[in-house]
Amino acid sequence: MDFEYKGKNISLKNKVLSKLDLFVIDFVNILTKYADYVVVSGYVSIIFGRSRGTEDIDILINKIDMETFIKFNRELIGKQYWFLNADNPGELYGMLHDGLAVRIAIKETVIPNIELKFVKSDLDKISLREHMIVETEENSINISPLELQIPFKLFLGSDKDIEDAVYLYDIFSNQLDKVKLKQYMSILKVKGTDYGIDV
Amino acid sequence: MGSMFDKKQNLAERLKFVHFYSQWVISVPNEVWSKQQADFIDSLFENARNFQLDSKKYLKSINRR
Repeated sequence: MDFEYKGKNISLKNKVLSKLDLFVIDFVNILTKYADYVVVSGYVSIIFGRSRGTEDIDILINKIDMETFIKFNRELIGKQYWFLNADNPGELYGMLHDGLAVRIAIKETVIPNIELKFVKSDLDKISLREHMIVETEENSINISPLELQIPFKLFLGSDKDIEDAVYLYDIFSNQLDKVKLKQYMSILKVKGTDYGIDV
Repeated sequence: MGSMFDKKQNLAERLKFVHFYSQWVISVPNEVWSKQQADFIDSLFENARNFQLDSKKYLKSINRR
């Protein structure tokens, strides 16, 4: 793998983009006009090569007002997306406002879909504020800081989540800020020694 | 009767593959690993088009997890 890891930017040149990558890129290029966003969870390991699919891509955004959400909704609908939960933008906004996720897919499909939520917890807010940027030739995607993503995956704790954490650690073990990693592991009360994540 | 399936052993074997696979990804140019990954994910993507659940059933299945 050839990448350049500079501060919060990871540049991945000559990556062959999958249809999933193109789906995410198209969506975030619309989203970014209306909100600050960060992609979290499974797709963060997939973008760096993990060999698995996913049915949803988790994205957190800052709280936006209803008017902005309606404009965002209108642009998505005009570009052949649809919301799985409801048609009415007011109802969808109410769900987001209540801390629930809304799901968005390409019209006439259900999978893959974007699971979109407003930031809620302190760790959500850190993910958004301190996000990293993955750059390919012409596109970029904001992702959760890896030092937070790895402990969070261990915290979730399913086999799939642990595998994601181990994969990211294997790929970036020389670049990760081990102090930060240790700090987030301590906050989330997780240990990685059983899996080779030894900080 | 105890389960014949050893979850711990299963995870250990899967992690062994993750380590093996990550070392391979590290060792080859981006064009190589990403082409193989894109072929794999694109086939899943195409398969998802045949997914027959409507949105209500899908959301119900998610909530049950």
